[in-house]
Amino acid sequence: METLQSLLLGFSVALQPSMLWYAFIGCLVGTLVGVLPGIGPLAGISILLPITYGLDATKAIIMLAGIYYGSQYGGSTTSILLRIPGEAASVMTCIDGNAMAKKGRAGAALCIAAVGSFIAGTFGVLVLTAVAPPLAAFALGFGPPEYTALLVLGLIFLGYMSTSSLVRTLLMAAFGLFLGTIGIDVMTGHFRYSFDINELGDGIGIVPVAVGLFGLGEILATPSHQVGSQIIRPKFRELWPNRAEWRDAGWPIARGSVLGFLIGIIPGSAHIISSFMSYALERKVSKKPEEFGHGAVAGVAGPESANNAASTGAFVPMLALGIPTGPVTAVLMAALLIHGVPPGPTLVNDHPNIFWGFVASMYVGNLMLLALNLPLVGIFVNLLRIPYAYLYPLIIMFCVIGVYEVNNSIVDVWIMLIMGAVGYALKKFSFDPAPLVLGLVIAPILEMSLRQALIMSDGHWSIFVQRPVAAVLLAASAGLLALSGIGYFSRRKDWRARMAAEAGEDA
Amino acid sequence: MIIASSGDLPFGSLSAPGAGMMPKVMAALMILFAVLMIAGARESAPLAEVDWGDRNHAALVLIITGAAVAAYRPLGFLITMVLLVFCLLVIVERRNVIAAAVYSAALTLFAYWLFDKLLRSPLEPGLLWF
Repeated sequence: METLQSLLLGFSVALQPSMLWYAFIGCLVGTLVGVLPGIGPLAGISILLPITYGLDATKAIIMLAGIYYGSQYGGSTTSILLRIPGEAASVMTCIDGNAMAKKGRAGAALCIAAVGSFIAGTFGVLVLTAVAPPLAAFALGFGPPEYTALLVLGLIFLGYMSTSSLVRTLLMAAFGLFLGTIGIDVMTGHFRYSFDINELGDGIGIVPVAVGLFGLGEILATPSHQVGSQIIRPKFRELWPNRAEWRDAGWPIARGSVLGFLIGIIPGSAHIISSFMSYALERKVSKKPEEFGHGAVAGVAGPESANNAASTGAFVPMLALGIPTGPVTAVLMAALLIHGVPPGPTLVNDHPNIFWGFVASMYVGNLMLLALNLPLVGIFVNLLRIPYAYLYPLIIMFCVIGVYEVNNSIVDVWIMLIMGAVGYALKKFSFDPAPLVLGLVIAPILEMSLRQALIMSDGHWSIFVQRPVAAVLLAASAGLLALSGIGYFSRRKDWRARMAAEAGEDA
Repeated sequence: MIIASSGDLPFGSLSAPGAGMMPKVMAALMILFAVLMIAGARESAPLAEVDWGDRNHAALVLIITGAAVAAYRPLGFLITMVLLVFCLLVIVERRNVIAAAVYSAALTLFAYWLFDKLLRSPLEPGLLWF
């Protein structure tokens, strides 16, 4: 009952005309970000972060979150019509979505993707509404040992879930954690690795690193002649799927929603992993697995639902625990912090307008996206007619402006440029840059909680096993490491490797 | 390199960890993971198989963007961005010079209007008076 009353308070905030306007702008920009290749939600949010400085915290977070979940909707459009994932989570939709389009069912594929995204997104918000407040209340009892254990589990989980190797993922995370230590040590005041550059005293910001790795790095690795322009343009009257297609989409949407939300809660590039897992699951349970890769409806409905549910699930640890599950939620957290609102267990009680207004705005945002993505698909398709050679200079310009405007710092832009080159090299050697960004984001929280825990215990590591919550979390980390170790030493492909291989075969 | 450049940062003790603890632990972990990767190198694809076909594109984009970053403060937003987009279109993409000039000027003016006027996010004036 209390939740319902709080949600009503949220709707009273979210339905104000100014909030609706910013939710709409966020959803529209998010769809554009998702549609345009070479610019993902992270780069989009980072570039637009400075724009929110003049807004209050509620409007800022509503708009930025709209970009995040809006990009999940938009990403499916390029995947289906162009066979180019607008953003990474839509990779799996390329396979069967584009195959459906080639069979003349582009409209149906787009409609199923949009409706699946809407159902999954709404399901995700419903569970978020129910889960986040009690989890936040529980987390109020967390101290430094629990936070340390939780962050360690998050990093190990990220490595375990990653489709690249655990060692590579942890190496990237360790590099990110190291980068996160650059700057003034808040506990002792020591300057660390700032090399007399004043700007580095504040540390390396997440925005230049994220925009460099995911925005510029992607552009460097994508010459314009590699971007095709064979667009299949659906007609509005062809948007409605037939009865058989609806029947085939029902259960995959339901399974994708639940699976995606659960994976979304776990740190890592959840929305990307969730679409891979959903595709593998649908292929496994399908009575006609041979249809996958040739236009299976479940191959569109499942992954599209999963990545939307995951993007909503990712808000649970962010809002309830103050822990980012990935680079995107990290930037959203940074946006809240810039406005003087610390995300975490105290958010629900200290800033109910922001928390519940944000939750309610997601219900509204999902409706807006359904309305935007189906009737206006023709307009978004026209954007894809702009040659990529003319598009990426615009993206580079926005990257430079976006990064510079955060702190008016040219050092940040140089960092972005260096990270662009690093991102390009990482891509060449098949390293996932997401753990690097996650490491950078959680480094200050992890270092602070680890050092506080050690000071509390007078240097005894036993504090991590004497406190039940921390002990359980560390036991789970050890279990995951053991599972990965067994897979590594037995030299057999585990479920993650098989999943990646199956996806590769279909592609 | 990290360990060498963190000579004056105190590691501290377990009961009072110093500013150098976390970076040094991370450096040690990076060495450990790198050794593990080298140990399992046979399972990875050979380096020779990496496709570097896009290296010229990447190098040109990096150099042009780097030059624009260096010129951003002295020249300002309008001049730098027109030159950035123009050079990317003409040097990297081999597009028609006149079309590139018109496009880069129009795009930069649009971005200027969007950020400076509509969103009131001030841009570097540089050599120009606005």
